[in-house]
This record gives sequence, structure tokens and C-alpha cells, in this order.
Amino acid sequence: MKNSQGIVLGIETSCDETAVGIVSGRKLLANIISSSVTEHARFGGVVPEIASRAHLEAMPGVIKSALDEAGLSIKDIDAFAVTAGPGLIGALVVGTSSAAGLALALDKPLYGVNHLSAHIAVDSLNSDHKLEPAIALLVSGGHSSILQVNDLTSDVKTLGSTIDDAAGEAFDKIARLLELGFPGGPAIDIDAKNGNPDAIDFPRGLTLAKDLVGHKYDFSFSGLKTAVSRYLAKTPDHIRSDVSASFQEAVADVLLRKAIGAATDSGIDTLIIAGGVAANSRLRFLAQERAAAAGIRLRIPPMALCTDNGAMVAAIGALAVAKGLAPSEIGLQADSSSGISRPIF
Amino acid sequence: MTNFLLIDTSTSRTSVAISDGSKSLFEKHHDGALSHGEVLPKLISEALAVENKIDQVIVGMGPGPFTGLRSGIAFAMSFAFARGIPWSGVCSLDAIAADVTSQDFFVAVDARRKEVFYARYTDGKRIGEPGVCQPAQLIPNQIPIHGEAHNEYPNPINFVEIFKNSVSYCEPIYVRRPDAYPAPVGVKFRALTQLDLVPAFAIEKAAYGKDGWTMAQLKEEYGGKDRMYVAGEFGGELIAYAGVVNLAGIADVLTLTVAESHRRKGIGRELLRRLIDWARTQKCDAIMLEVRVGNEEAIPLYESFGFIEISRRKDYYGPGKTAIVMRKELK
Ligand SMILES: [Zn+2]
Repeated sequence: MKNSQGIVLGIETSCDETAVGIVSGRKLLANIISSSVTEHARFGGVVPEIASRAHLEAMPGVIKSALDEAGLSIKDIDAFAVTAGPGLIGALVVGTSSAAGLALALDKPLYGVNHLSAHIAVDSLNSDHKLEPAIALLVSGGHSSILQVNDLTSDVKTLGSTIDDAAGEAFDKIARLLELGFPGGPAIDIDAKNGNPDAIDFPRGLTLAKDLVGHKYDFSFSGLKTAVSRYLAKTPDHIRSDVSASFQEAVADVLLRKAIGAATDSGIDTLIIAGGVAANSRLRFLAQERAAAAGIRLRIPPMALCTDNGAMVAAIGALAVAKGLAPSEIGLQADSSSGISRPIF
Repeated sequence: MTNFLLIDTSTSRTSVAISDGSKSLFEKHHDGALSHGEVLPKLISEALAVENKIDQVIVGMGPGPFTGLRSGIAFAMSFAFARGIPWSGVCSLDAIAADVTSQDFFVAVDARRKEVFYARYTDGKRIGEPGVCQPAQLIPNQIPIHGEAHNEYPNPINFVEIFKNSVSYCEPIYVRRPDAYPAPVGVKFRALTQLDLVPAFAIEKAAYGKDGWTMAQLKEEYGGKDRMYVAGEFGGELIAYAGVVNLAGIADVLTLTVAESHRRKGIGRELLRRLIDWARTQKCDAIMLEVRVGNEEAIPLYESFGFIEISRRKDYYGPGKTAIVMRKELK
């Protein structure tokens, strides 16, 4: 087992994206994504069995395309990494089994990685900045948390998380109420561009003085969702883009208040924003503004690396290789609910 | 010599073998694996320690429970790709049948949900493609049934012969469709109004006969702050309706009915999702419903939303008509 070059191929199948990325150390070589999202759009959400079938169908082609993009042969890969959780179990298993097949065929090490850590680790690519310590705001369809990253591959602490819906889930639900379709994030982002973010004063969950005692860095989006649905019910002639913009403003505002608060409180002056919701244009804009005002260094991965992808899996795999961490055991088990305290399996 | 790596994960048994085409070089299996994905790589690395030169991979394509099945196929495909060797798929049931000497028999394996995947074999040949049914449906044929129920599992050593003598499969043999139906195209969902009660009663009567609500009951159940009704409309006509009530923090589905001519279009799924969403906005702890025993369309739908059976009520829908009570936690 030689890791001389640190070329790592990463596989991601935790939800509806079949994705393979290849990195060499901290350099991105390839990032290929095949999505079954259009097949799920008809159902207004991801159907696990449809996602799993699509992963198996897409996998060989996605692996080949990634190798082509990187100009490599499979034999050039030094190590493999795969998302082992959290995610849909049937979907994860397609990824872990494919990765095990590649690693065993070539007798190369395999690292099972945590999907959430991978979202943050993608920040390491194509740059040589110091990675840790950092505060990370991780916002996606399944997760909304504020993390303290002392070491990406071994020491990530959760400072706060959502007590009900994830931010991305709230986007999906409100998009459904507004009949904007699925997935909701991009749809609301576009609709909101024509609206006034200050038109409606939607609530900011868990920001009152009494909430801050037990939930300083926690989020709650269910009250916001109820408020939007009540507003729509009692305002038949509402302007939809104003609702989109005001809802989006409420989400972005509360996410940033808490994330920047965590950075300021901890004295860690770097904030990483990662996960699918980090692709939201209003969140990106407000984050620039507020981080600058607070004297915090802000890092947000490029849009294409915010949503689920294989490069992020390869990236954390490469960090593990560089640190000389032991690979995962043969027959690593996918864990649908694995926590971030275990970045590498 | 061609060395074959043979893999099957279509049943609760995970099996790996290596054959040189005429004799077995390695054979091992693991029973009752909760996770094939965990066991398979371990068996493979044992196999490779015995014989690392592999020229072709053959994998069982099922039918079988989907997640386990896919783990074997995904492994086989990428192993073959990484080694630059071919892979092929065969029907897993054939590898049980190959060990049976009877003239005419069924092979059946567990398909979950109290069903089996099966195929019939006569004179050593499979008749048609595998199917899925309840085990009791095979019994009246009065021919032997081989398979998982009798501890007979696909033996991958048989894959080499099967591969040489029959068509290979390049996709998993799923038999069942995913629990999702095409989108309800052209169906509009909105709140149920007073004006809908007459057409709703017509649908109710057609669907349940005299077990259904009377017009008076329908009027009484409709309305009230503690409940919500949703309607599905197609071409300006009511075709479906559903209602839910919040009883002290537990939501109870009052009705969910789709006109016969519009079933199997995903309308029930959409209605149910709206009821669940409403129950969540009411901060309900759980949502419950009753369904007739043997309603094979509705039960899988409810299960796919995470409803589980908690009890049964005898004579709920009239004498001899038992209801299954199902519950889904929302907290
Ligand atoms: Zn993600």
C-alpha cells in the first residue's frame, strides 16, 4: 500500500446524487455528478428506492467519467474514500459496496467517511490556507448545525443544531406551499430575486433572550414554516416573491446571527459555510457583509462543491491519507445516522 | 484456465466462491447477515487470499430484497472494472434450482412483506421470468416448493454452468416496482368545500358500498377547527378526498378515498402527505389510521410513509371485517 502521491477517489451516494471526485492531496482533479433529482421532483421529495436504483445504474459511468476528466486510469488511484453515513441506508450501501469492490480488486486502502465532515473538508481544495481551527455552519436538506472544527479528520464538536427541521427542509416545504416545485432551495432563491426581503417580518426562531439560555447556537424552523403558512392563509392576495424573499431573509438572518456569534464567542476567526444551502445567493451575500463587519475570515466553497459531490469525499480521504490515519476495516458498515464526532470510520 | 469469482447476496445468505470452471477453489457463506455490505468484502478478501487471479466475475441478480441484492451487484461491477475483467449476472433462483432433481417444482425466496419471489422449473428449465406472490398462492399447484423456507439457498458454484447455458442479466431482477407511482398529472389539490360533499358521497358509496359513511355522517364529520379536509380534482371534477382530525395531540386519518378510475396514479400518496404535513403543523405526536385487512394497495403505501401496525380491531368495518390500526410517530 503506497500513498506516495495521495491520489484519492471519493464516492458519494447518501441521497439522490451519484457522485465521484478525484483529488491529489488538496488539488481537485475531477468532480462528476449524476443526479436522479428530476425523477424525485414528481413526488415532491426523494424516494429512497428510486434513488438506490439510480445509484447502481449510474455508478459505473460516473466512475469512468471521473477518471477520464482527471486523465487517470483506475490503477493510478492510491486510496479510495466513500460516504458511509449519514444518509439513506439503501443508497449508502451502493456506494460502500462499489468502493469496497474497487479497493479490494486493487489492494488499496479504503476510508469510510462522514458525509457532514466531507461537506466541510471540501474547503481544503485548491488552496493551501490553514484549515483548522474554524467554526463551520453546515446547512443542507438534512442538517443545520454549527460546528467547532479543531481537526477535520478527528475532532469536530457540535455547538448547536436544529431542534426540528433542517434549513433545506424548510426551503422544500415552503416551496411546496408556494407551489414552486422541488427542490425548494434553488426555486425560492430565484423567486426571491423579484421580491422584497423586508416585506413581511417572519419570526427568527430561538433568538429571544430566554431561548439563548439553552439554545444559544440551536436553530428552529418549524415556527417560521407555520408563520408562512398562516400568512398565506390570511393574505389571499399576497405577492409570492415577497413571501419567498422574506422567508429566505429570515432563514439567512438567523443562520448568520448564530454562526457569526459562535465565531466571535469562541475567538475562532474563521467561518466556513458548507452544505447545499450554502449555494443560496442571499445567504452568500449576507455572509460576506456580516463577516467583514465582524472581522471574520469567511470561506464558502464554490457553488458546485456546496451541494453533495464526490470531491468532498475524496478531499477528506486525502486529508486522512496525509495525516497517516489507518484506513477503515474491510467490510465497513454504512451507518444511516452516524454523527459528526466520527469523521473517519 | 478461467477463474470465476462468484457472488450472491440475493437472500439472507451471503455467498462467495471461486471456480476454475470445472472445480471449486473456494466456497464460503455467511448466514443471516443484517448487512451484506459488511460481510461480503470480508468473504472476498478470504477468497482472494486463496486465489488472487480472477478472470471473470459472475453475480446473482436476484430476485431478492433490494438493498442486499444491490450490494453484491455494486461490488461485482466495480471489482470487475478495477481488474479490467468482464462481469455478468445470472438469475439467483436458477442456482437453487440447479441442486434440485425433481421434474416440476417451484423455487421461492423471501421477498419481505409476507411475500416470496418465485419461479417454476420443469425438466430442468425455468418457465418464464420470476414473479412475486404470497406463499399460499403457490400451494394449490401441489408441486414441491424449494428455497429459503427449507434452508436451500443459491449456490454460486452453479453460476458457471448457468452462465454458459442461459441468457445473462445486466440489471437486477427487481420484479417489484419502487413504492412510488407516476405523478398525478393534471390533478389539482385544494381544500374540500361544502359543495364537494355530494360528489364525495358518490365516490364513498362506489368505494365502500354500505360500509362507507352515509351522507349525514359525511356532513357531520366534515367541518370543525380540529380537522382538515383536502380534495383532489381532475378536469373540474372531484376524484379524491381525505381528512384528518387532531385528537388531543394525536392525528387520526378520518378518510382517504380515491375514485376507482383514478387509482394507482399517486393521488393517495399526495393526499396522505398533505395530511401528515398538517398533523406536523398541529404539533401532533403521532398520526394514526385504520385500514382493512388485506387492502394490498393501501398498506404498502402507508408502510412506505413509515406507518407501522400497532393493533387490530375486529368487526371495525362491519361483522367479520377487521381493521389494522397503524401509527407513525411525528416527534
Ligand atoms: Zn449533503
